[in-house]
Amino acid sequence: MYRKVAVAAIIAGSLFLSCGMGLAHHSVAANFDGSKAMDVTGKVKAIEIRNPHSQITLEVPNPQGGVKEFYVEWSDKNALLRRSVPVNKIKVGDTVTINVSPSKRLPNLGYFRTATLPDGTILRDCGFAAFREGIVKGRSGCEENAR
Amino acid sequence: MKNFVILAVMIAIAVPAYAAVGKHAELDGVWILLGTNIEKPQLTPEGEKKRAAYDYQKDDPDFQCKPASVTRVMHTPSPPIQVRQHQDYVEVNYEFMDVRRRVPLKKGLAAKDAPYASPRYPHLGKSAAQYDGETLVIETVGQRAGVLDTLGVPGLYQSDQMRTVEKFNPNGDRMQVSVTHYDPVYFIQPFTVTYNYVRLPGGKIEKWDCKPEEATFERFAK
Repeated sequence: MYRKVAVAAIIAGSLFLSCGMGLAHHSVAANFDGSKAMDVTGKVKAIEIRNPHSQITLEVPNPQGGVKEFYVEWSDKNALLRRSVPVNKIKVGDTVTINVSPSKRLPNLGYFRTATLPDGTILRDCGFAAFREGIVKGRSGCEENAR
Repeated sequence: MKNFVILAVMIAIAVPAYAAVGKHAELDGVWILLGTNIEKPQLTPEGEKKRAAYDYQKDDPDFQCKPASVTRVMHTPSPPIQVRQHQDYVEVNYEFMDVRRRVPLKKGLAAKDAPYASPRYPHLGKSAAQYDGETLVIETVGQRAGVLDTLGVPGLYQSDQMRTVEKFNPNGDRMQVSVTHYDPVYFIQPFTVTYNYVRLPGGKIEKWDCKPEEATFERFAK
């Protein structure tokens, strides 16, 4: 079951990353490699849910000592709210693992896929393409986000 | 009897006035983008030159939170648009960049004689609307020269001679909007982008409230 959900989340994320934005130099698809995924574990320094892009700043251990910042880019605030993503479950100070699509240009940047919270809960975002598909099928969007 | 005569006179005046602006189509509502069909633009040498020189880091108005054009605004997939038809004007509101347009519906009104449709963004030009059967048609002129598109076809430019014709076609819970660009400076042939929408039940247009310092990917490079 978990595997099916994870696969669905990855497909949904990939669809979102590729939804009609492939040509733009500053678009999500152009800046992040949707075919790759990596885990980043760190302490949440800041979470800014805003337009046109949300951002989570993580403090991750630096192999040379201390910590360095890793930035997680995410959808715009309005879209996250419309998709009922429970963003308030990510709290400043918590240690979380965020699965991201890495940036094509910057080593300290990735695009949100899922977040594993301190209690083991996995926070998912179905993405715009799945939301849109839900609307077309007469649903309210991404019911699974609210679970 | 006297009241009946007054009512009859009022109807006689009101009906032709309503008919003059046309039939209100089933366009009212909030819509989200399903997909786009973008023609291959046939550019003039000047258009090709401008596109080749386009540098998104310097030239993209998005990074200043400024909508390049209505065409560009509609390319952004997740923020919805809203259509509200009134007796003598139509509102087209876009969540992206908080663009609000109010377009007069007045038979015979030329776009050049209309007020700026979006006072906050006068560079988007002057627009006039009318109905062609069930189709809402908006003609726009007076758009400021600059970048036309940064997302669908990044690096398209527009001149101040550009005229656009938008056609809003309802189909139940679907809507198709085509935007045809006529620009003798940058396009050899009219260039059309078609957007397909689905109605968003209970949808609202929220504030976008873009801030330039939060809009660019370059903020990560500090």
